[in-house]
Amino acid sequence: MEEFFQQLTNGLAVGGIYALIALGYTMVYGVLKLINFAHGDLFTIGAYLGFTLFTAFGLSGMVAGPGAVVLVLLMVVGLVALIGFLLERVAYRPLRSSSRLSAVVSALGASIFFQNAVMLIYGAKFQVYPNDIRPSYVLSIMGIDVPLVRIMMIAASLALMLALYWFTQRTRIGAAIRATAIDQGAAKLMGIDVNRVISLVFMIGPALGGVAGVMVGLYYGQVDFTMGWVYGLKAFTAAILGGIGNIPGAMVGGLLLGVIEALGSAYISIAWKDAIAFLVLILILIIRPTGLLGERVADKI
Amino acid sequence: MKHVIKALTLALAASLLMAATAFAAPVKIGLMCPLTGKWASEGQDMRNIVTLLADELNKAGGINGNKVELVVEDDGGDPRTAALAAQKLTTSGVIAAIGTYGSAVTEASQSIYDEAGVVQIATGSTAVRLTEKGLKRFLRTAPRDDEQGMVAAKLIKAKGYKAVALLHDNSSYAKGLADETKALLDKAGTKIVFYDALTPGERDYTAILTKLKAANPDIIFCTGYYPEVGMLLRQKMEMKWNVPMMGGDAANHADLVKISGKEAAKGYFFLSPPGPQDLDAPAAKSMLTAYKAKYNGVPGSVWSVLAGDAFNVIVEAVKSTGKADSAAIADYLKTKLKNYPGFTGQISFNEKGDRVGDLYRVYEVNANGEFILQP
Repeated sequence: MEEFFQQLTNGLAVGGIYALIALGYTMVYGVLKLINFAHGDLFTIGAYLGFTLFTAFGLSGMVAGPGAVVLVLLMVVGLVALIGFLLERVAYRPLRSSSRLSAVVSALGASIFFQNAVMLIYGAKFQVYPNDIRPSYVLSIMGIDVPLVRIMMIAASLALMLALYWFTQRTRIGAAIRATAIDQGAAKLMGIDVNRVISLVFMIGPALGGVAGVMVGLYYGQVDFTMGWVYGLKAFTAAILGGIGNIPGAMVGGLLLGVIEALGSAYISIAWKDAIAFLVLILILIIRPTGLLGERVADKI
Repeated sequence: MKHVIKALTLALAASLLMAATAFAAPVKIGLMCPLTGKWASEGQDMRNIVTLLADELNKAGGINGNKVELVVEDDGGDPRTAALAAQKLTTSGVIAAIGTYGSAVTEASQSIYDEAGVVQIATGSTAVRLTEKGLKRFLRTAPRDDEQGMVAAKLIKAKGYKAVALLHDNSSYAKGLADETKALLDKAGTKIVFYDALTPGERDYTAILTKLKAANPDIIFCTGYYPEVGMLLRQKMEMKWNVPMMGGDAANHADLVKISGKEAAKGYFFLSPPGPQDLDAPAAKSMLTAYKAKYNGVPGSVWSVLAGDAFNVIVEAVKSTGKADSAAIADYLKTKLKNYPGFTGQISFNEKGDRVGDLYRVYEVNANGEFILQP
């Protein structure tokens, strides 16, 4: 039983990261019906920007631990949001009225561009976050050892997700985003500036991905330029699992995928972990083609 | 036709010139190495070492009064280029060829040397199948891939571990090593409490570690590469689990400690051929001093030093048999040469042409994150 709960917390921590990244996929899909394949690379960029801010500018020396982390997170949010904004302007907006396939190709191109740019700037080797920032305290609850960072990570992911949910459900801008997602033409007629809404979505999604990147860097220590691929793929899966275009769906999908992976490797086989996770995905899509919480059919990629 | 005549005349002139400068017919030894391409630094080290040795030998009077002439060809780290290089070397009249580094590259050249009846001594090629083809004149100074498994099993037994966990990453190298070790441990009656593969390239291995912990091993042998090993060490420490961990030579990389942190890496040990700076044979020390004086640096890895060993055993064979003849050299090396004091320890070959005796050493990470060679 102890092992079960240990694996559950392992899964939730990984799943929290998947969910944060999945939010970016799902928001963009909800509004534009476009899978932003460059999203995983924005996550990588976030991780690398965090690395630069922590090491090159010696922030960890200037400001005390938690302060530095918050400061870096805020700066990364701003910078990755800016990159997301530019990405939409350069790669997606000119193609908005053309066929969906062109936009997908453009997204793939942006992904390759970002990945190689990171490699050329930082090199192909692993980069390592400074070791002294994160607290090394380990909580022991009834025989389960959970590092404090893990709990903080799960808590931060949940807080960000809830904040985003509140933002889209309870604010005027959130309502505008939802309106744009449902019908762009009608939203325009209601006086909503659709272009601004789309720009905003392309800032929020990547910013969340960037935060996830810094969190991965902080917790796991190493970052490399291909990390966005694995995480991006898993988060994309999580978004589909929960129902793409649906914000609570992305949260549920991400956490669920993390837990399935952890329990699958615990009770079946580690080597088959990914196969198990995708098998579950297939089963869920057979039973519910729209994903767990999805309303729309994900008919286009 | 004109070109052919021109080439023939040139070749004739060249051979006449050589004949005129040498006192007796020189002993021609070929070296095939990757001077360009992804392994260029290895290949250049190989050339540097062998050139250094040949120069020293000639200064000391050569082999029984005969000068040694080195013929170097670039294989580019590429099988096709290697085939061309092998053809050039065999037609230039070498009695033996040293090389090369990559197993696939060596394999592409094997049959060319074999058909020409030239002795080939590979230096960095560890793939098992190379010596399983029954080629009469193929040898290697490098260990075989399956030797590492043997050494690992021996080490696990010597350290008295009773319950072993094996973890690989499904790459052919890491899985091969894990399987090899498993088979030997099974035979020896050591219990394998865990055997599975992780997915390389991920960040979170806590699920695997939790499962490992439930299996309660005395030792974890992870045969994978350094990024995953580093993450495992780090997350193992965070779980406050103090089980020892060991690895194979794929863990031998300075970034390992960077990824895991010094505290987590402390006490981790792995198998690897010794680095050039750790070679303790007296011959190696003097050779490295001369190398440093001439090239202003040390060879990057042990694999290039093995090219030096290959050169020395060829010279030894010619000296002892008194014949610059490929058949005699191959026969001497496979049957008569015993415990030749090489740079990387004692050298003998078996009937297949594999090197006898282990090259692998144990390295342990100390508190400062340095890899320390264990006695």
